[in-house]
Amino acid sequence: MFGFSARSVSDILFWVTRKKWLILSFLLSISFFYVPSPDGLSPEGHRTLIIVLVALILIISESIPLPGVAILILIMEVILGVDTADGVASSFMSDAVFFIMGSLMLAVSLVHQGLDKRLALLVINITGNKTWSIVLGFVGISAFLSSFIGEHTVGAMMLPVALALIRNAGLSTTQATKLSTLLLFSIAYGCAIGSIGTPSGGGRNVIMIGYLSEFGMAEISYLEWMKFAYPMLIIEIPIVALVLWFTFTPEQKMMDSSVRKLKVKVAKTGKLTANQIMAIIIFILVFLGWIFLSPIIGLGIVALSGVFLYLSFGLVEWQEINRNTNWGVILLFGSAISIGIQMKETGAALWVAEETLYYLEVIFQDIAVVRWFVSVIVTGILTNLLSNAATVAVLGPIILDMGGDPIIMGIMTSIASAFAYLTVVASPTCMIIHSTGLISSSDYFKAGWKLFIISVIVLLMVSTFYWPILL
Amino acid sequence: MKILIAISSKEYSGPTLDVGMNIARAIQSSTTIVDVGQKISEFSLKDVSMANEVMESWDIDRPGVDVLEWAYNYLSENQFIEEQALKDGFPKNVLIESGTGRAEVLLKGSALENLSMILRNGDIIKELRDEVNTHEYDLTIIGGSGKRSMAHDMIQYIDSSIFVVNNFNINENYKILLAVDDSPGTAKAVKYGVRVAQAFNIKVELITISKDKHLVEENKKASDYAAKMMRRSGVEAQRIFKTGDPVDTIIETAGTNRIIIMGASSQSPITKFFMGSKPLNVMENCNCPVLIVK
Repeated sequence: MFGFSARSVSDILFWVTRKKWLILSFLLSISFFYVPSPDGLSPEGHRTLIIVLVALILIISESIPLPGVAILILIMEVILGVDTADGVASSFMSDAVFFIMGSLMLAVSLVHQGLDKRLALLVINITGNKTWSIVLGFVGISAFLSSFIGEHTVGAMMLPVALALIRNAGLSTTQATKLSTLLLFSIAYGCAIGSIGTPSGGGRNVIMIGYLSEFGMAEISYLEWMKFAYPMLIIEIPIVALVLWFTFTPEQKMMDSSVRKLKVKVAKTGKLTANQIMAIIIFILVFLGWIFLSPIIGLGIVALSGVFLYLSFGLVEWQEINRNTNWGVILLFGSAISIGIQMKETGAALWVAEETLYYLEVIFQDIAVVRWFVSVIVTGILTNLLSNAATVAVLGPIILDMGGDPIIMGIMTSIASAFAYLTVVASPTCMIIHSTGLISSSDYFKAGWKLFIISVIVLLMVSTFYWPILL
Repeated sequence: MKILIAISSKEYSGPTLDVGMNIARAIQSSTTIVDVGQKISEFSLKDVSMANEVMESWDIDRPGVDVLEWAYNYLSENQFIEEQALKDGFPKNVLIESGTGRAEVLLKGSALENLSMILRNGDIIKELRDEVNTHEYDLTIIGGSGKRSMAHDMIQYIDSSIFVVNNFNINENYKILLAVDDSPGTAKAVKYGVRVAQAFNIKVELITISKDKHLVEENKKASDYAAKMMRRSGVEAQRIFKTGDPVDTIIETAGTNRIIIMGASSQSPITKFFMGSKPLNVMENCNCPVLIVK
């Protein structure tokens, strides 16, 4: 047909069916380009929103590789005249991107030290051998650790501990049981609630701090953030453990032989090595740097200093970091923040904020309720479809333009973006436990919807009764 | 000739392996067994691979390895490979990354020169298509579980012959139902028919279907040709002539104890995409194994 071989026609058809979202986003962007700009929206703002739409479709559908989306955002920003090439480049790199890059590299460096066996020992020494206390311990320790070192690291280190316990209990590590579901979700949801605790718990917290500072709205230090968010984390630990326990109650109420076997296995690894001690010391230095130095030099630079120390002390090879760092994600977050800043500067964020307030006020009658609805519910839903950092990068500028106290709105949005309980793609830890083949997509809903609702209520209480005392 | 056998789980993949290995043994082809695992979101690709590395240090297999290990043991229990082919058993800790999302179990240099085992992750059609395109397989053998939902994409996009091992029962006395007409695909289908008949040592029924009463001359010629080929190869064949709708007649005649073999449609990919084709309709609706020859 038209000189094409059947093979190449078939190739084209395959491409079209797999790339239908790419084609749709292309067609939509062209049609919206020719729609006249609505009142109150500048032409640049109009075009910025087109880029946001295209990016959202492509990220959710994953129809092209993520770095491809990142690059497309940058190209469109320049070609559609939203900003100059240099302007786009400077909005692309920021301390928040340094932080995301640094924390991903720190995760590789830490996981590389083989501290997971130590961690296993710590966990079972704390929890003992009752299944219930192991679940509580898993949730608590995952939450505590991920609040400081990020969920990537904790997910990768806790997963084998859970699987080893499951295997030692005489169960298969390839066939799902209630016990396996329970333990794996304890890690994933523990990490999710933990990631709100400090700015370094997740890239999205740093993105929000960056926006607040960039837009001249507020400066939040590491400790201030903790004052706002940590109490909520502590309240959620027992709630998550209880909800998981009653949703996936296992037959095994005691795991004594399983825990004993794990202890024997871990005991073989011997004492902490010099490198491991050094690795822990460096991480504590980074943590202190985040608390005391970040107001002056930025969270990202502190994280990168940690990476520098790991590299220069020979605790991790560059090849190792290079191989296990997700450069595509770093590019994507850089672009997402860039488009977020353009949304603010072109007035697109303000326009969307005002339109949303206008229409939703008709429904809810109260502007405070509308703000709450968008920053918590809309963020919570979007975070389950997109990645949580991308959600904050895109929604952040809009929510901050809706009025209200910027610190409360900002932290509330960041916290709601951690309610990633419902889908596999919602967070890295959700994906890590799914990749074991022990968790099916529908399992996420079973406990997830309960936790989503409870978390929304807890956030509402904390933000209404506790936060105003801090301001 | 190269054969790709796609397996998914221990519960359902036994028949697929039986069929695949029998054919492979009969024609002495090299065989690759693939398990396509879940798609990993790009956001978390590195996090998952890091978690897998840590799991290895705990001697916990990465997902999918257990399925390949099961397949290996299945093959040795059923004498498809020699029991002592690998001295230390299945080498589950030796996975070699050989492309994005593709890892191969190290079997090379052993007595198993004609067998490879690989793991892939992602959308099953895309992964099988990539595998078939880059490694040029002639035949892809897959279980019947996703038959309806995947039939269209498999026929449309996988560039090899496709054998769907649907409702296969090793104890059943199968015959081959080979669809023969004047279409260009028939000659190749006949060749495959001979091979499969020899592999399982079973009889062949050559079915020729005409839309109305009188048999078209070309169809008769095709049937003569097929019968001659069977005779030459020493395969016992019986000729059947029927009238009616080809798809319905084939499905009805096949019942549950035939292996249907038919040539792929020669229509353009675009027509097939929108209108479907006879092989597609047969594959979607039949209750027995079916081999579409491309």
